[in-house]
Amino acid sequence: MELVDRYIAAVQRELPENKRQEIGRELKANICDQLDALSEQGELTESQIADVLKQMGHPCKVAQQFVPAVPIIASEDIPLFKNTLFMVLGVLFVLQVVGGTTQWLGSTEGNLFRFIQHIVSGFIGDACLAFTAIGLSFWSFSAQGKPLSGSNCQKWQPQNLPKVGPGWQHISLSDVFADLATYLFLLLVIWCSMWMSSEQLAARTVIFSANAQQLLQWFSTIILLSMGNSLWQLRRRVWTSELLLANMGVNLAYASFLVFLAFSSPLLQTQVQSQGTELQGIFTLLQLDKWLSYSLVIAAMFPSYEVIRDGLRWRKLASQT
Amino acid sequence: MTSSPLVKMRLELRRGVLVLAVLGLLKQAHYGYSLRKQLQEGGIDIDEGTLYPLVRRLADQGLLDSEWRQAEGRERRYYQLSSLGAELLSQLTDEWQQLNGALAFLLEQSADTNGSDINRSDESAEEI
Repeated sequence: MELVDRYIAAVQRELPENKRQEIGRELKANICDQLDALSEQGELTESQIADVLKQMGHPCKVAQQFVPAVPIIASEDIPLFKNTLFMVLGVLFVLQVVGGTTQWLGSTEGNLFRFIQHIVSGFIGDACLAFTAIGLSFWSFSAQGKPLSGSNCQKWQPQNLPKVGPGWQHISLSDVFADLATYLFLLLVIWCSMWMSSEQLAARTVIFSANAQQLLQWFSTIILLSMGNSLWQLRRRVWTSELLLANMGVNLAYASFLVFLAFSSPLLQTQVQSQGTELQGIFTLLQLDKWLSYSLVIAAMFPSYEVIRDGLRWRKLASQT
Repeated sequence: MTSSPLVKMRLELRRGVLVLAVLGLLKQAHYGYSLRKQLQEGGIDIDEGTLYPLVRRLADQGLLDSEWRQAEGRERRYYQLSSLGAELLSQLTDEWQQLNGALAFLLEQSADTNGSDINRSDESAEEI
């Protein structure tokens, strides 16, 4: 009987406090009935008792069957939970990029590693907090037995569903937020003179040349338009002919501008306006300028690729309609 | 079909039927072990680890009444169908009979189709 008591105690440990006594009592009565039936064939050995208990199942499993675990978030709310989480994480990423860029441009070091580290560590911290806050909010609704997606699932019309299309037609949230973060980063770099103090500006060794700065400022209009385009994508979440055309226009503008900027040398200048000055004894300004030009040409390939890709997709969509 | 999906599907199939069987047997009062014996004698073998929690859940839902009684020098918890449980059992029984009739018809029809298909393929094999 000692084995039985140990088994009951093990089951009880896995149960909520208010159910331990009652379930333990009932389980013991049931096991004793079984052992009584077995003992009619002869005296029971310890291994026979152990076999009966093994047949009952592991104490954890038995306890779970008596009091099944309730999921923290109702299963019907999981898609909404994931969607909310990704949206919030996307916004937090954009905010981190803004904060990180502001700090990076404002510091005298200009250390790229520190910049990335600031964004990553800040984002992880914010993401943990967001995950906990969103999880707890959903949990509180699920605990009250009010799934959040219940009303959404009832209020829908088949006519409002998007048309059948290929897999690429779905716009992923991560793409939209990555684009938005890039645009904000570019705007902050271009307009740093607007929000940086004169001491911070004076501390920088290398700045854009007057010509490049003017071109970049003109280009801010296109960046603002592309932000509007991303917000439109966020609202629709499906590539339509109009969205594809808008995206092609934006990417074409980016590719053309990047190539034009690459060939508008000089792009950089030192604060003392003297070309050829050694920067920290490693690179000359001319070398940096050349590398920046090459980088811009390489960067122009990405929007060019998207122009071609979206063009092909647009043709496919047009042929379907 | 491998044994793992079979085991899983058998469990799923039996889960709903088991509730009906338990409710049906508990028109008379039973304690856990006697209920299990009755089910076994009726051809339904079920683990203790599944049956006892199931009975408790049904009692928690108000479908069963329960009381502790002293018998043979030991205490036992007896369960019996409550009025709510009796009402539900009658509805579930109707549902089961309707389902069972429909399923029997469908399975019989598919068996006939399979049989005629096999005969047809045998005939064409002989012709070849």
